[in-house]
Amino acid sequence: MAGLAELGRKRETRFGLLLITPAVLIIVMLLGYPMGYAIFMSFQQWNDKLGADHRAIGLANYEQLVSDPAVHEAMGLTAYFSVITVVGGVALAISIAILLNRTFRGRTIVRVLLLVPWAVPPVVNGIMWKLIFDGSVGIANTILKSLGIISASVQWLSDPAATMNILVFAETWKLLPFLCLLMLAALQGVPRSLYRAAAIDGADAWNTFWRITLPNIRGPLMFALIVQSMWSLKVFDTIYVLTGGSGGPAGGTTTINFLAYLTNFSNLDRGYGSAMAVGIMILVLVIAVFWILVFGGFNRKRRAADA
Amino acid sequence: MRESWLSRNLRHHLTAWTCGALVIVVMVIFLAPFVWMIAYSVYPSTALQAGVPDLSLTNITLDSYGQLFSDPMFLGPIVNSVIVGLSTTVMCMAAGAACAYAIARFRFRGRQPLLLSMMTVQAIPVIVLAVPLFILLRSVGLYDQLLGLIVTYTAFILPLVIWMLVSFFEEIPPSLERAARIDGCNRLQIMYKIAFPLAAPGMAATAILAFITSWSDFFLAKVLTSNTAVTLPVKTAAFQGLFAMDYTSAATAGVITAIPVLVLTLVAQKWIIRGLTEGAVKG
Repeated sequence: MAGLAELGRKRETRFGLLLITPAVLIIVMLLGYPMGYAIFMSFQQWNDKLGADHRAIGLANYEQLVSDPAVHEAMGLTAYFSVITVVGGVALAISIAILLNRTFRGRTIVRVLLLVPWAVPPVVNGIMWKLIFDGSVGIANTILKSLGIISASVQWLSDPAATMNILVFAETWKLLPFLCLLMLAALQGVPRSLYRAAAIDGADAWNTFWRITLPNIRGPLMFALIVQSMWSLKVFDTIYVLTGGSGGPAGGTTTINFLAYLTNFSNLDRGYGSAMAVGIMILVLVIAVFWILVFGGFNRKRRAADA
Repeated sequence: MRESWLSRNLRHHLTAWTCGALVIVVMVIFLAPFVWMIAYSVYPSTALQAGVPDLSLTNITLDSYGQLFSDPMFLGPIVNSVIVGLSTTVMCMAAGAACAYAIARFRFRGRQPLLLSMMTVQAIPVIVLAVPLFILLRSVGLYDQLLGLIVTYTAFILPLVIWMLVSFFEEIPPSLERAARIDGCNRLQIMYKIAFPLAAPGMAATAILAFITSWSDFFLAKVLTSNTAVTLPVKTAAFQGLFAMDYTSAATAGVITAIPVLVLTLVAQKWIIRGLTEGAVKG
């Protein structure tokens, strides 16, 4: 009898393995293998502009990566873009979520409509903001002129700093609703009784937020910060459309991800470009670990305080 | 006593009003840009370039839609996107449902690490894989081919599909499947006769999400196609050259690219909101 159960378990395992095989094969072949190959390429001198031959050059690409002024500039832009979209975006998302968590008429429809910016494909998002901030036909100029803020049309997308800020705005517009929905779901998971207890103890709104709301949504909060950090690091489509594929004006929107694209596909410097891409992957990892440590420390401190 | 009640009541109303106004402002900011793009696509540019845009309804024209839909250079990418989107979805669901079911139901070694790795691979930046994929597809003759895009998208979207489906399958009470087993169903039958139908709404939402993801992708399509297999987002992005942009056509192409995603999203909104937020809130 035991033998039969054993046999059954074995057959079950075999059936399970059979079921996972196709998916695992596809993922290994088209994600795993290319990733290994990218790491291999990052140690090669491999520039398709110079010819088809390539050779191992050790860490030279990574040394170049560390000392390349173009990389430094791109990292600066990436930091500017990411800090605003991650910290600002998540803070704004919590505020809006708290606003939407109140009971009011049309709550359901508001929540559904939040999906509109989420659903707009990134390329379309770029076109949308390009239309709005265009120097000659854009509505931004029309509105600002009629309000008397500016007197003549401004060529927003010819100015590096303005273009970067438009990019920040466009990306925040697209990603904020998702973060809002996430925070809204998190807020609904906070037990009502805690708020009642806080109200009885006479806590004001500010204290309630810091001592009740925030500690109770720290899991989703960490998730939101990690996900948004990853998105911010890999922003591409909107830059491409807003700047006509240039990362301009004057490199003003060439974040590190876009620089890696230009290196790989405009300069055809695949070796150096791969090193850059692997660098981005390491950066993603470091930032994820950073958030986990921040929240882990927070948890430990709380536990120590509770004890 | 009465006065304080009054003032409290007043304050309550004031808060409600302020919040209501804020909600409206937030929603206008979230919706207006898209509505404005629709306006761009249906009004002739002369009506919009005036000092104050002339938005009278008589000015509305669908000429630009007619133009794009009769342009084979635009229809080709639409057809490509539909084929790629549907094929990717079918492949993702076939491979993904099997894998997710096994993870949710069978106790085999490496089950937990497998699920975790599905989460982790989603974090790999696409840029890392772009060049190797380009070289790989070129070497097997799939560069600029629909099939090349389909298998690539399948690999990229599968982890998300599996991650979502596992949570849907885990919700089905195992007792139903045990009962079916006693009734003489084999494992395969239990899977597609009991588990899949019970998880149908979740599976449909997952399929929609897979379709949306492949439909909206720009980067991989840009890198892995050049001509015959160009998809709609790549074509749409090309409407805005660095110089001389045809605004009406660009807006029209934008609306056409976005509409299928919007419609699908609204159809499956309940499940999509759940699918998007659940992982985070549970974990």
